Amino acid sequence: MRSVAVIGTGQTMHASRRDDVSQPELVREAAAAALLDAELAPRDVDAVLLSNMELFEGRAFPELWVGEGAFGAGKPCLKVATGGTSGTSAGIAAFHQVASGMFDVVLVVGFEKHSEGHTQTGMALTDPLWDRSVASGAVGNFALSISEYMAERGVSERQAAMVAVKARKNAANNPHAHLKNARVSIEDVLASRMLAHPVRLLDMCPQSDGACAIVVASGDVAKRRCARPAWVRAAVTRHDRPYLGDLDRRLATMRTLRDAAHTAYRQAAIGDPLRDLDVAEIYEPVSYAELAWYEALGLCQDGEAGRLIEEGVTSMQGALPVNPSGGVLSTNPVGASGVIRIAEAALQIHGRAGARQVADARTALATGYGVYAWADVVVLAGAP
Amino acid sequence: MELCWRYSSGAAMERFCLGLRERRIEALRCDRCGRRQLPPRPMCGDCRARMSSWVRVADQGALVAWTIVHVPAMDGRTGRPRGVPYAMGLVRLDGADTTLNHFLRMPEATQPPLALGARVRAVWRADRRGAIDDIVHFEVMP
Repeated sequence: MRSVAVIGTGQTMHASRRDDVSQPELVREAAAAALLDAELAPRDVDAVLLSNMELFEGRAFPELWVGEGAFGAGKPCLKVATGGTSGTSAGIAAFHQVASGMFDVVLVVGFEKHSEGHTQTGMALTDPLWDRSVASGAVGNFALSISEYMAERGVSERQAAMVAVKARKNAANNPHAHLKNARVSIEDVLASRMLAHPVRLLDMCPQSDGACAIVVASGDVAKRRCARPAWVRAAVTRHDRPYLGDLDRRLATMRTLRDAAHTAYRQAAIGDPLRDLDVAEIYEPVSYAELAWYEALGLCQDGEAGRLIEEGVTSMQGALPVNPSGGVLSTNPVGASGVIRIAEAALQIHGRAGARQVADARTALATGYGVYAWADVVVLAGAP
Repeated sequence: MELCWRYSSGAAMERFCLGLRERRIEALRCDRCGRRQLPPRPMCGDCRARMSSWVRVADQGALVAWTIVHVPAMDGRTGRPRGVPYAMGLVRLDGADTTLNHFLRMPEATQPPLALGARVRAVWRADRRGAIDDIVHFEVMP
């Protein structure tokens, strides 16, 4: 396999409504920004990968409507849709396309315009015989697994609130973020409206309008075009069984993420992720998810996630800053959110993350989380 | 114009649904890993093996996880919102190895509250028609 790197990133300003642009224009904004960042022209792009959850906005084949906005006309142009993992999966698909030698430069653009749709039309339309009867939306379905996780691992509502506070404070350093609030307190989170026990409003990600793009290039192109390429050291994706109840002690085991991380760490020669990673951008749709993912990603032993957040290990000043961008808790255009994770990890390696830069970041983790099971894990590094 | 979608259930789900009409819950057991799985499907995803051994499962079991939802969610069958708040649970029926996600009856003040490990039982609809909502919800047993 050839070496592969992320050599450019671009994202829109994310907000609850981007009425100033249509969906193709939103996509074009991110695509053009990423090409500008990579100092490439549309003609340099061999293929385009889009990620978007088409039922959320209630229209078919969005790649037809917006593909042109991603400079896809006349080029190979495909769409990936796997819920929250869509963006990381599209990124991994691009890594494969370039690593195989099929293409030298692939542009990945993820986007969602939640203000023009209804997430529930997508969330309620899985298995029509079982899930459609009992599906409870993104909030209810996730919340259902938390009571079991809290009891088993001793996680408290206060510890989850600390995750939510960290995210919104970090987002204040990110000009692209949707929700940012440097003054939000644990008490604010605990006093916010209950959505689905124990998840409160400020524990939950927003629904955002936004797009994000990355330029993926072969090693030859990367060395020629980019001063500090973010080299792909590992890229792993995992699928799982169809029903919520198939996955025993789901958040405590999270076998997709655990297995993907284990495999990725082996590929990237990471022995102790807390020591060997410099920064992580993980897909946490709910505050509680971040705590569960700390354990599944091996950042701590099972049962130690609450201590990790309390001791500030994952804060900007800690041993391993997690989500300097503010994460999904601050910005969630679903089809873009996974691309944002890879882009933010790449920005850290590029050394261009501005006020959210982690000093001397050489190894960065990006993850995706889709529906209630799928997981993607990507490791980027300053050397191939 | 009214649009209509029809989905084939497959043989395993058909047998399961016809059983519900008779207040009978059956799971498929994988002969390799031994897991008794609900909702039934013809293949064990972990063992990649065809399942054909049906086992009877009780209509009561243990509450493994629960939540009370306060945000309106759409009923995917009707497109109309469900009334809030409503309770959801993961229930491990006696005789099954997987759990089922289903509605829970909101306990009244005089009843035991929702709690992990609580014993729950199915509340069946009187006019059953062979669908998953033949079980209205599960309720905490006194």
